[in-house]
Amino acid sequence: MRSSSASDAPPAARSTVSDPALVPPGALVVRDLCVRATSGRVLLEVGALDIAHGEFVVLAGPSGAGKSTLLFALAGLQAPQAGSIRWGGTEIATLGEAARARFRAERVGLVFQDFLLFDELPALDNAALTGSWRAHAAAATLRRRAAELLAWLGLDAHDTRPVSTLSGGERQRVAVARALAMDPQILLADEPTASLDREAADRLVLTLRRIIDERRRTVVVVSHDPALIEAADRTVRLVDGRPCGVAP
Amino acid sequence: MSTWRSLPAIAQDLLVLGGWLVPPALALVLGLRRYRTGALVGALLRRHAGVALIFVVLIAVATGLGLALGVQERGIRAGSAGAADRFDLLITAPGNDTGALLAAVYLQPASLPLLPGELFQRISDDPAVAMAAPLAFGDSVGPAPMVGTTAEFVRHLTGIEPADRTSDQPSPGDASPLEEGRLFQGVHEGVVGAAVTLALGQRVSPSHGVGDAVGGAHDHLKIELVGRLPRTGTPWDDAVIVPVETVWLAHGLGDGHAAGANGAIGPPFDPVRMPGVPAVVVRAESLGAHYTLRERYTNARSMAFFPAEVLTRLYRVLGDVRRLMTLLSGITQVLVVIAIGVALSILLRGFSRRFAMLRALGAPRRFVFALVWCYATILLLAGALAGIGVGVLSARWLAERIAATSGVHVPVSLSLSDLLTPAMLAGLSVLLATLPAFRLARRPIVADLRG
Repeated sequence: MRSSSASDAPPAARSTVSDPALVPPGALVVRDLCVRATSGRVLLEVGALDIAHGEFVVLAGPSGAGKSTLLFALAGLQAPQAGSIRWGGTEIATLGEAARARFRAERVGLVFQDFLLFDELPALDNAALTGSWRAHAAAATLRRRAAELLAWLGLDAHDTRPVSTLSGGERQRVAVARALAMDPQILLADEPTASLDREAADRLVLTLRRIIDERRRTVVVVSHDPALIEAADRTVRLVDGRPCGVAP
Repeated sequence: MSTWRSLPAIAQDLLVLGGWLVPPALALVLGLRRYRTGALVGALLRRHAGVALIFVVLIAVATGLGLALGVQERGIRAGSAGAADRFDLLITAPGNDTGALLAAVYLQPASLPLLPGELFQRISDDPAVAMAAPLAFGDSVGPAPMVGTTAEFVRHLTGIEPADRTSDQPSPGDASPLEEGRLFQGVHEGVVGAAVTLALGQRVSPSHGVGDAVGGAHDHLKIELVGRLPRTGTPWDDAVIVPVETVWLAHGLGDGHAAGANGAIGPPFDPVRMPGVPAVVVRAESLGAHYTLRERYTNARSMAFFPAEVLTRLYRVLGDVRRLMTLLSGITQVLVVIAIGVALSILLRGFSRRFAMLRALGAPRRFVFALVWCYATILLLAGALAGIGVGVLSARWLAERIAATSGVHVPVSLSLSDLLTPAMLAGLSVLLATLPAFRLARRPIVADLRG
């Protein structure tokens, strides 16, 4: 693990900025990003942040530092007031609402702190949730992939019990399967271990590491968890909405 | 507009019904199939199943009450009209025709002045009259009112006419008008309505008065019950029916026949000895003759009227009450729809993190809109459908209560027009459900994700 400033990005990411068409889809380039609250208060200011395709980055920092805001901005959920967020060749900062939704649906997997599953549905229905608004053929493919992912994550895809009966660790793995079911290039997770016990958290850390090693996906995680920070390729520290790049 | 008016009523009802229900039903099918929201809608319904059930029940009650009101009002009209069906023309002493109708047809206690025997004889001898049956009431046997009349009227009441209309006595070719036993053949015999619990062969003594007004008993008079009428669906099902002479004898007024009649019953009566009767049921030889008779016997000494005329007047009052109740029910339904709309919005706000999660995962706004709308629509349509059941059941319950208290059989049947109000309510509610669906589909994702 190493801690870095925002500008201390891998050469692979920096070199592609001048030629967007050649940038791998999981590579991120952020420039002069500014996100403000409706009151006008600055929530986030990032001069430069580059993440290489297939890199595992943890966004760390104290509460209110802007970690989740940055994660949501990277997901296209939070529209910035200024600056550029480029994933591969796609500039998402200027996309409209519908285009950003399409971008997330095709390229981004999201994992939330408290899983945000449909508790009444079984694991497979939750993992294949994003097929609900897709064409039938795509939904069928997605469901097959969701079943494989559940098995890959050590869960029974044929378990018809509602996920509310599963343990916290199992539910978080269902959430990871849901995020990966559409085979996204980017996995973004907001405090994914915060609701888990140590054993389940460690298992999730290993899972995320496997996603990087075996599937070559870019993973950006907001976390305070030392185990996650330890497992990551790089940690970006934020203080008062700005990357400070200082190791703890 | 002229094309619309040229359509039969049932076609108009069907079109209106379809207009309210088909678009939301199609949209629901489309919403469930195009976006495969079925599993998620099921999950949302299970999430707060109790609250969802309360919604459905509230909508069902609001819908059902309005429907029951219409069905019941129509049933009361049909039932009361059916009860008066066999009373073609009533002739009483001048006074209150409503009171006379209630006493003669519905056997409600009333004090009516008497028509003199001489007038009855004139009516009976009128060439336009096919049947003139005296009715005498005011006594009772236990809870059952006792009515004095003729055997001919009993046959007329049950719908079985004698082959020989010139005689009050049955001829061998006549079908029996009774369910059980035989018609009375003397002043000490009587028959009972289908709902009377007294057994045939039992000997009873009438009491003076009916219901709460029961006075002294006519213990000197014993009546043997010899027959039971088939069910007529009228208050007469609860009555004990005796020869009119029995009522006169009970009151010490003689038997209305000339000396030496030797206990004969039925016409002809002696106009001088006949004590008088509160009402006479008349059937004319022809339909048109009823109007002639009505005119002829509406004068200073008597009052002739069609029960249907009085009922129409009562229905007008009933109609006014119904309009008022329909208005109140409509206001209640609108208030319930508003309350449900507000409650639905609050309930759906509870799902806002889930909807935000769906949009964060890339669900288009229209998917979230479809999901919310399908959820709300299923609740509303289920409530409206259950409301039809609630309406029919409550109308049946009310009909049973009315039959138990008045003896009038109130038919309960659902017509297509009864479904228009629930359909309109469902259609409007489903339309209103687009508002929370639209709002939730446009809520800020990040704010909702943060909770």
